[in-house]
Amino acid sequence: MEGGGLRYLKHACAFGVTLLLWAYFLFGYLVLLPVFFLPYVVANRSAAAAFQKLNHLHLRNFFGLVRIFIPRTDFDIAPEIRSLRASILVCNHVSYLDPILLVSLYARQTTIVKSTFFRVPIFGWFLKKAGYIPSSPDEMTGAAMIANLESIKAHLAAGGNLFVFPEGTRSRDGRVGDFNRGVFSIARYCNQDVHLLMIRNTDGLFRPGAFTFNVFEPRTIAMDYLGRFKTAQGDDGQSVGAMAAQAQAIFERETARGRLRTQTEEPACDN
Amino acid sequence: MTRDDIEKQVLEIFLREFEVDNPDMDANLREAYEFDSIDAIELLLEIEKFLGSELSQDEKKQAMDIRTLRQVCDYIEHLARVRNLIGQKG
Repeated sequence: MEGGGLRYLKHACAFGVTLLLWAYFLFGYLVLLPVFFLPYVVANRSAAAAFQKLNHLHLRNFFGLVRIFIPRTDFDIAPEIRSLRASILVCNHVSYLDPILLVSLYARQTTIVKSTFFRVPIFGWFLKKAGYIPSSPDEMTGAAMIANLESIKAHLAAGGNLFVFPEGTRSRDGRVGDFNRGVFSIARYCNQDVHLLMIRNTDGLFRPGAFTFNVFEPRTIAMDYLGRFKTAQGDDGQSVGAMAAQAQAIFERETARGRLRTQTEEPACDN
Repeated sequence: MTRDDIEKQVLEIFLREFEVDNPDMDANLREAYEFDSIDAIELLLEIEKFLGSELSQDEKKQAMDIRTLRQVCDYIEHLARVRNLIGQKG
């Protein structure tokens, strides 16, 4: 049994680590990124690419600090995930850390972000400059939608990745929610397959609803490659709704298995 | 390609892709058949396949104002004329 003193010490330690990590996180957006980013804006060079790269470096450092201050957390990212370029990635979503982790993996990346984040001062401005796409109906209908799709196409052609959480929001209980079919439609529009990635245990490190990082429990944050999902529209092609349902079933199966990736496993899909 | 070919093809697309059988040509697609922006993307891809050529960004943006099936047929007819496909066989 843990004594009250030890428990208090652990809480204090977790609180301190959390404060430090989020302080660095905010410091990056308030100080580091503006300092390095402004020259690009002034010179009117590719602001989106520059921001994506800076954001990537900042968040890679963030996870560097996580490794230092939460040493009982390991990371196991499948090599084929790290090497993905010019691809559309579909992931499950269990923690606020998931998008941060994905940005830390890829220098060129974009995603579809809840429109409320675009209203956050400074951060929202960066999101816009980075070419991230708001999920509001205004941006996903009409002429704005076509402009956004064309910009995603150009981003992919330049070697960038698009990652999407088709559940739209974090799972609070680890179960896979209903998939939105939008990303499969985007993939068809861009003539791209999608890659299915399974994120595990980020919710153990930073639990939904918790304030502090779970500092002391040992865990491995894993990203498993579930396979490539063909979206090409042939004569016998599936509807995007059917593709979304099939992809969701793959994630549900993997979640139920709760297994970690091993080197010898076959990809879960190659439809 | 004739107007009849276009209408026949559009009805086929709506049946195959959106499971809409024997639709009202003048009904609002959103209200009558819950046609949404994702369906609109699918429809654009089907139109490209039917015409055998990619649509420009401006042409795609024009499609976003379409509300009825009759307008879909008008839109395709216009694209076919621009591409000199009207009256051609096959």
